[in-house]
Amino acid sequence: MDNLICKNCGLSTSKVDLKGISHICPGCGSSLETEVYKKENGTDDIQMQSEESRLYYPRFTGSANEYFKIWIVNTFLTIITLGIYAAWAKVRNRQYIYKNTLLDDQPFEYTANPVAILKGNLIVASGAIIYFLTYFYKPMYSAIVVGLFYLILPFLIFKSLKFIAHNSAYRNIRFRFLGNMKESYRIYIFYPILILFTLGLIIPYWAFKKKEYFFNNFAFGATANSFNGKAKRFYKIYLSAFVIFIISILILGFIFFTVLIKSGLTSADVSNKSFIMKNVIIAYALMIVVVTYFQQFIYARITNYCWEHSNLGSLRFRSTLKAGTLFFIRITNILAIILSIGLLIPWAKIRKTRYILNNITIMSEKELDDFKAFIESDVSAYGVSATEAFDFDIGL
Amino acid sequence: MIMFKASYFDGKRSCGLPVYINLQGATIYIQSEDGLPLLSVPLRECEISPPLGKTSRTIRFPNGAQCETVDLAAVETLWKNHGGKSLMNFVNCLESRWKMVGICLIGLVIFVLILSKYAIPLASKKIAFSLPHHLTDELSRSTLEILDYKYLKTSVLDDKVKNELKDIFFVLHEEIDPGSYYRLEFRKSPLIGPNAFALPSGLILITDELVEISQDNKELIGIMAHEVAHVKYRHGLRSVFQNSGIFLLISSLFGDVTSITSIGATLPTLLARSGYSREFEREADQTAGLYLIQKGWSTKPYQHILMRITKNVHSYPEESVFSSHPIAQERVFDLQKLEDNKIIKDTLIKN
Ligand SMILES: [Zn+2]
Repeated sequence: MDNLICKNCGLSTSKVDLKGISHICPGCGSSLETEVYKKENGTDDIQMQSEESRLYYPRFTGSANEYFKIWIVNTFLTIITLGIYAAWAKVRNRQYIYKNTLLDDQPFEYTANPVAILKGNLIVASGAIIYFLTYFYKPMYSAIVVGLFYLILPFLIFKSLKFIAHNSAYRNIRFRFLGNMKESYRIYIFYPILILFTLGLIIPYWAFKKKEYFFNNFAFGATANSFNGKAKRFYKIYLSAFVIFIISILILGFIFFTVLIKSGLTSADVSNKSFIMKNVIIAYALMIVVVTYFQQFIYARITNYCWEHSNLGSLRFRSTLKAGTLFFIRITNILAIILSIGLLIPWAKIRKTRYILNNITIMSEKELDDFKAFIESDVSAYGVSATEAFDFDIGL
Repeated sequence: MIMFKASYFDGKRSCGLPVYINLQGATIYIQSEDGLPLLSVPLRECEISPPLGKTSRTIRFPNGAQCETVDLAAVETLWKNHGGKSLMNFVNCLESRWKMVGICLIGLVIFVLILSKYAIPLASKKIAFSLPHHLTDELSRSTLEILDYKYLKTSVLDDKVKNELKDIFFVLHEEIDPGSYYRLEFRKSPLIGPNAFALPSGLILITDELVEISQDNKELIGIMAHEVAHVKYRHGLRSVFQNSGIFLLISSLFGDVTSITSIGATLPTLLARSGYSREFEREADQTAGLYLIQKGWSTKPYQHILMRITKNVHSYPEESVFSSHPIAQERVFDLQKLEDNKIIKDTLIKN
């Protein structure tokens, strides 16, 4: 695969435009040329890493203690300012996670301007107020407002991805998101509608498209990431998750009912309300456990697959998340949060972040100091942050 | 003069250069490890990242370059000379002392309790009572449309029965809430069963099934008084406002956990589920109980019909008498207590 380079902005990518007519630079729109430097005939096999490539392991240095203090203070300030401070709290919390993520001993950085986020929050809040008022005075029309919300959701997701990427930096080089809005609409409106008509069979493909939208469109400075994952693999992952799901439901259901029947025989009054309630709660808890495993299994497999099929210039990734460990972390985190009435949220977040980051390996043929920044031509940095003021946590 | 080590990133390439930063007077001098001068910038033109835990600090220069350093003590001095942003300085002060964090935590708990127990209910009450009538009428009209469409059919009760109840109802609402507008209507609902609803406009709906299971008009008077109380104290509107307020509070507390898509999904269901709170039910029951006692009928008929409804009720749609109601036994017990207390009081006064 040839590397393509843009003479105008310096962007280099190994992505191949299938139309074949001209290679348009996703960054600035001018045409791409084949780079002189050629990679060895690459396949999507991860074993191809050459002997001399260096391995980098991200280090996460955040501590639950320290994050707890930051989280409590910032939540307190958010509440007493009736939500206005939320933008500052968001920047601080995110910055803490970023700054404690070290790659080759250098931290990541989150550079968002809280005022920009505050603007975004105000826009969303006014949307919520409009929804509330319609619900209140014209409940018949509130469905229309919900419809409108889903109509602008792809726009918000797109803007949010751009904003977060633009404000994430490493070694003073900003990340970028190169995806377009049309694609966002296709992914967040068109495919969800198709789910109904295809009886859910399209869900793995939809998950693939969502991942592709992110992994194929983010860039570090002038270097765009390229993703060569296949939807077929997503179908395999979903299928095995589904099989595990059905089997565990059957086993747990069998155990549950045998226990129920046994205790039912000894219990004097089976129709007793508290007896039924107890069993409903147990069944519900078991269901949460099974569903959580299902989710974490898919998350682990897909995340591993997506990183392993990405390359950022000469960088390759390996992710070794295990469904079982993620599941254990998730379940214990939920329990800890419930039992501590939310006080252990920061601990849970640190723990999960640490596990995920500790399982990523970055393989590079060159040193990490060879990346170029993307030179923004006419759009000023301030212009970007003023219009793209949304930062939402999107479950990608 | 302060001097410390840092990594220099020019913002064009990802390579870092180990440098020394030197503050002399009001100017920062950056020099390479072998002492070559690289850059000199007036301190006030630099942007220094605010302190955050034990994380490294960044000094940004006007030309887009930046320095990253882990020498926190040195940057702190720089930051003080620079006269850094006071807001983040203050926040960092709170974050770095356990005592302050403790105070914030206590403050957080107190503030959340005040908001959820007093401020939100009080604000909801204020708003509910200040809403103009045409708005509550509009709201009630559209709610009735939904109820009629989803659960209710036209009543098949005898006109004689209806008119008799309407006459009783007229006297009742004039006595409980004089001068306000009320109207009584009937609907058949095999889906809901014996039940009654109150809409903020003063429209009270009673199902045919409720009339059928009642054995005495005094029983229905209890139910009607209960519903009139809901309207009089604007329980319906207050519940909606209160629930929305609590929802906002929770989502701002756990803002980290909830994502925009989940908020979009939960808000509609949350608003739809806004039944009356137990407190409102108790208030309505108390009004009904006192009315019956005052009439000299005792709360017994009302107690009886409550018990009968629990046995017959099918489902609990929104705005129903029975959604989120305290269990019937508890309500009957409260009514009995109310009556006993009243009798004791009355005998004490007589003696
Ligand atoms: Zn009620």
